[in-house]
Amino acid sequence: MDLSVRLNRLELPNPILVASGTFGYARELAAFVDFKRLGGIIPKTVTARPRKGNPAPRTIETPSGMLNAIGLDNDGIEHFLKHHVPHLLRLGAPLIVNIAGHDAEEFVALTERLNDVDGLAAVELNISCPNVSGGTDFATDPRLTARVVSDVRRVSRYPIIAKLTPNVTDVTVIARAAAEAGADAVSLVNTFTAMAVDWRRQRPILGNVTGGLSGPAIKPLALRAVFATARSVDVPVIGIGGISSLDDVMEFLVAGASAVQIGTANFYDPTVTMRILDELPDALRTLGADRVADVVGTIQLLDRPARPPQLAD
Amino acid sequence: MRSMSENLPTGSGSVADDSLAAWFSELPGLVCDATWAVGHVVERERMARETYRLRIECPAIAARILPGQFVMLRPAEGTDPLLGRPFALFDVADGPDGTARQFDIGFVVVGKLTRRMSRWEPGCPVAVWGPLGNGFPTEYQGHLVCVAGGIGQTPFLAVAREALGLRRYGSPPRQPASQSRRVTVLYGVRSAELLAGVEAFRTAGAAVFVSTDDGTQGHRGLVTDLLAAMLGQPLPAEQASATTEAVRNLPRPDRILCCGPEPMMQAVARLANEHGIPCWLSLETPMACGFGACFSCVVRVREQDGWDYRRTCVEGPVFAAERLAEW
Ligand SMILES: Cc1cc2nc3c(=O)[nH]c(=O)nc-3n(C[C@H](O)[C@H](O)[C@H](O)COP(=O)(O)OP(=O)(O)OC[C@H]3O[C@@H](n4cnc5c(N)ncnc54)[C@H](O)[C@@H]3O)c2cc1C
Ligand SMILES: Cc1cc2nc3c(=O)[nH]c(=O)nc-3n(C[C@H](O)[C@H](O)[C@H](O)COP(=O)(O)O)c2cc1C
Ligand code: FES
Repeated sequence: MDLSVRLNRLELPNPILVASGTFGYARELAAFVDFKRLGGIIPKTVTARPRKGNPAPRTIETPSGMLNAIGLDNDGIEHFLKHHVPHLLRLGAPLIVNIAGHDAEEFVALTERLNDVDGLAAVELNISCPNVSGGTDFATDPRLTARVVSDVRRVSRYPIIAKLTPNVTDVTVIARAAAEAGADAVSLVNTFTAMAVDWRRQRPILGNVTGGLSGPAIKPLALRAVFATARSVDVPVIGIGGISSLDDVMEFLVAGASAVQIGTANFYDPTVTMRILDELPDALRTLGADRVADVVGTIQLLDRPARPPQLAD
Repeated sequence: MRSMSENLPTGSGSVADDSLAAWFSELPGLVCDATWAVGHVVERERMARETYRLRIECPAIAARILPGQFVMLRPAEGTDPLLGRPFALFDVADGPDGTARQFDIGFVVVGKLTRRMSRWEPGCPVAVWGPLGNGFPTEYQGHLVCVAGGIGQTPFLAVAREALGLRRYGSPPRQPASQSRRVTVLYGVRSAELLAGVEAFRTAGAAVFVSTDDGTQGHRGLVTDLLAAMLGQPLPAEQASATTEAVRNLPRPDRILCCGPEPMMQAVARLANEHGIPCWLSLETPMACGFGACFSCVVRVREQDGWDYRRTCVEGPVFAAERLAEW
């Protein structure tokens, strides 16, 4: 079956991507994953300058989930371009580079450096990292979101995905701002700001006090955010949040996602993407579909007709 | 499970493939033939208070795992607990055909998963991935001294057996760079009822000297007192014991391996440094994935221009003591 999906200017061989920050720089999963089969690889967020990241403990498990406050630990764009990109480009999967900047100018400068590289599939803008001040501000404000996205769109030779935070009153407002500013797609959700407390020591458990919640615990929240967003924007939505099985993938597609990213599940089942790819064609056939787009957004509401597949191709 | 070479793009020229292989090999603890599998519990044995040995059937891991490497374990079903937990290789066991099919871990109950593991029965399916991490270097020459604090003893049974030539690990079985003439384990616990596996060390040919915080067995005090005595340092009379005087007569260590709580490892690293003895530490940093994907497990490692956080799981868990910053 043809599993390919089209997200505006971005064409992918299948809808199963791996989420930034949960797949290292891919090499770490070489023993578990046949990279060529993935719909897209999104390495850890890259910033303009190297960042050491937060002190340990950086993660803590919570019921059916985890909190992280890694702090965008990375060696900076120059190291990334020289040291990782040439190898990442040879793994056989579309490469989507995820970037974060302190302001619109830094996002633009990073985009211009990525323009120097041939062969990327897209750029994902992490305007939603809850662990770094300066990042999260963008996607909590529709005007700032629009500004970053339109500035990047103006210079980028590659399709743009705006990655959104769920830590807002109404994520559809932000999604619309990103779409109108020229994002090819929006991806959501990033993690939910949360915390864990050690009451005996009367202290937060994470060194950073708060962290981002991810994993199966957030799946219903993410589904609702994706559902609402898909119904209110004209650009494709990439669903993220607690996906760890074929059923989860199908739920997101039916709710309106045109593709998905697998995150935390890679940590405890690094082969999960391969299993989902094995099983996906049968599940699509179950719904009588011959391509992924046929099931996207087909959720039926009691008092409304099924929404037609939202992709205009 | 696929090998890393299957993941290297084919037909693109050997020079380029070498560069890809070099990219992978920059991380000394990145294991290119690690496996994620559902194995099952074969047996569970109580070793000491709140301390158990679990034997798990998983030939792909048992055949390859090396002393000082670790595995990640979680229940095969469910999402709470969610993440795997790291456990050092205790030892491997052969099937009827004489090849390694099972591996043992030793653990102490501290929280959510270990409490559950203390009730796992034979046949219980478990998700397991490994081997992971770099393991100890195999220059075992001369007198090898393993300093263990609490459950930090688990890596040293396989080390002792390999160092003394009793067993070969890996596939194909590896030959250590050099063998030891003598292995001594200095083993500190809070109380005698927590001592686990002492007989197994002795059977492997290692001499074991024990310290307990409460004096219920061996030296009353810290395991670092034993190391200090072995290194010929004078101890105040109230810190001396029959055990410190016994280790004082042993030959000087040629190499020290250490695993235990961080303050103890820091003290051991300092002593080794003062006496110019090469020292390797196996860190127990909390982990979420065990294979380098999450960047949870960082430790400060010395760099030319200061320090940087490095991932324990793919750059360790075994580090030369002098590489660790602020130790
Ligand atoms: C390489 C390696 C090898 C190991 N080998 C062994 C071994 O052979 N035997 C053995 O018994 N143990 C070993 N450990 C330690 C073992 O992994 C832990 O004891 C285990 O993860 C505990 O899991 P749990 O679910 O029982 O505890 P949890 O419920 O996860 O937590 C136990 C305690 O630790 C605290 N805690 C949990 N996570 C963090 C964090 N991120 N930061 C700070 N505190 C935290 C909790 O608050 C709680 O008090 C090893 C660790 C490493 C890194
Ligand atoms: C340890 C960890 C690190 C992450 N790092 C990043 C990151 O660097 N950039 C980013 O855009 N998202 C990052 N994320 C968020 C994930 O990409 C994803 O949006 C989120 O975890 C929700 O999906 P999940 O529940 O499937 O994990 C990180 C998540 C985790 C758990
Ligand atoms: S435990 Fe995930 S990077 Fe080390």
